[in-house]
Formats: sequence, C-alpha cells, structure tokens
Amino acid sequence: MMNFMIALVLGVFFGIALNKAGLTKYNKIVNVYRFTDMTVLKFMMTALVVSMSGLYALRGLGLITFPNVPATYIVGNLVGGVIFGFGMALSGYCPGTAAAGAGEGKLDYLIPGFFGFLTGAVIYGLTYDKVFPAISAIANYGNTTMPDLWNLNPFLTVLTFALMSLLLFYLIDRAGWQRKEKA
Amino acid sequence: MKFILNYIRKDEWSPYVAGVLLGLVGIAAVWASDSLLGASGAFENIAGMIGKAVAPATFDNMYFNFIMPPGITQGVMLVVGIFFGGMIGAATSGTLKWGKKDTANSDEQWKRIFGAQTWKRWGIAFVGAIILEYAAGIAGGCTSGLAISGGMLLAPAAFIFIAGMFVGGIPTALLIYGKRF
Repeated sequence: MMNFMIALVLGVFFGIALNKAGLTKYNKIVNVYRFTDMTVLKFMMTALVVSMSGLYALRGLGLITFPNVPATYIVGNLVGGVIFGFGMALSGYCPGTAAAGAGEGKLDYLIPGFFGFLTGAVIYGLTYDKVFPAISAIANYGNTTMPDLWNLNPFLTVLTFALMSLLLFYLIDRAGWQRKEKA
Repeated sequence: MKFILNYIRKDEWSPYVAGVLLGLVGIAAVWASDSLLGASGAFENIAGMIGKAVAPATFDNMYFNFIMPPGITQGVMLVVGIFFGGMIGAATSGTLKWGKKDTANSDEQWKRIFGAQTWKRWGIAFVGAIILEYAAGIAGGCTSGLAISGGMLLAPAAFIFIAGMFVGGIPTALLIYGKRF
C-alpha cells in the first residue's frame, strides 16, 4: 500500500517535469530527430547526471542498494530502440509523455495513445515467447552496469559522464550544434 | 519566493531545471521504494487484466501469467500519477486543454506538415503507439524504464537503446519532412 502511494507521488512529479520541459508536445519530440530543438536530449541528460550522481553517492555511503538493473542484450536493446525511435517520430510521444499529455487534456494523446499502447501490449504479450527469448539470448550480458562490466571506478565513470554531458550542452547552446528551423 | 512562484507558473521551464526535477524523482524512486521508474510496463499490466477478463484462454500464457502479471501494479499507479502530474503542470501555467477546442489535433507543427484532419493525427498516433509499446517490450523498457532508469545506473542497455532511438527516429523524420527536414 505504501509503495502504491509513493509510486503515485513520484508519478505526479514525473508528470510535472515532463509538462514543464515541454515534452508533452509533438514538436519537441520530433524536432530532436531533426536537430532543430535539442530540448529532449538536454532534459534527459540532465536527469541522468543528477540521478546517477545521487544514486552512486548514496550507494557509496552504504545508504541504498541498487534495484534490479535493466538487462543488457545488445541486439534486442538496439533493435527495440530503433523501432521505438520510429514509433516516437510518428506519434510524437512515448508512453510516459503520452500519459502526461493526456492529463493536460489533449485528446490526441489520451485516446489513440491509450488504445495504441494497450493494443501494442496485447500483441507483444501474445507473441512474447516467439520473439523475446530468442532476441534476448544474443549477446546477453545480464543485469549489469558499465563499471561492473568493464571494471571501471564507478565514481570516475559518473564524473566522466557528467563532464561529457556538460560538453554536449556547451556545444548545443554555445557552439551552434543545433540546426535552425526553416521559415 | 515570488521568483520561484513565478517560475513555477511558466509554461515551459529550462530543460535543465526540469531535468534536475526528473533526476531527483529517479533518486527518490530507488531511495523510497527500491524501484525504478517506467511507463510501458503499466500498459502490459492493464492489457493482461482486460485480456484475462475477456478471453482467459488466449491470455493464459507465460507472459501474462508470470512475466507481466495483470493487475493494478505500482507501475500503473506511477502512470496514473504522471497523468495527474501533467494536469497539475498545465494548470499552474493556465494551459489546461480539457474542454477546449483544438485538443484533438493539438500541435501546430503537425498540422503544418500533415494537415488539420483529426483522423490522420489519430491514425498515425495510434499506429505509432502500438509500435512504441511493442518496441519497449523487445528492448526491455521505454524512455523512462530503460533510457532513464537504466542510464542512471549506468546500464549499457540504456545507452544502446538511446542510440537506437536516434537510428530509428532520424530517418523517419527525414522521410516525413523531406525537403522541410
């Protein structure tokens, strides 16, 4: 019960973040693929830097343990990502931003989004045993992290990621690594 | 204080500020409930619930019995929360769309490219949503469940997935926008 309330509250703040970042707009999502608006990338990379710094620090202090790390199986992660990007460029949302956009009262998020995800979920669930075991068996490294897999110092890895993100933000915002929208 | 309230009321924040908020939510998920964020799984739970009620024999398989058991899970609660978060966010900036016109085809850029017909927007969005959910199944999560949640733990899967998103998204946008890319 407690965990249900926590999930609800976390979701509310997640939804606020999505709304305020502008990710509940078709144009923000598709324009990252046109390199005319890099908001999505800045938003995601910032979230990653903050959360990975916090989590690795807390774990280093012995205050938390990590939950089940999402599994790495190179072909499935990649193929899934490619198809996901295709769907994202078509609809202009992903499951999370569609839920937030639906809450804003956008019917093109609420109705085709909800029924589309449900339909996709049914198709996936019914074809799971023909697809997933095969694709996830290829190049499967299990529930691993980069520091564990490659024997890196976790804190240096986080620091490196943070510095690379800052460099990317600099290049996008100050060095013009963003295309201009055509008039 | 006034500055903060005014900032909260803004329609759009800096993506860096909103990103910090999402990052804190990601930390809180692990800290408070030893779980990760994720949106796509919730739809599997709900699909299983509906499927088991409508066609129990068809949905009596390994996936809906063991991998993604049906029901109102923590993941479903998270998505319900996201829904209300979007609502609250829009309410603070006075941009709630409930009951307003033009909510069936809500984006100006979309209309410029595809036209104003609602059926077109809904049709393409519906197909897109099916593809998204299926792809999230194969990849092991969506933008939140894999890219963010995996990325913050430094799982290679997350970064492979993000690279894949661009490999899939760029040609699609190129195809749709053509000369207007």
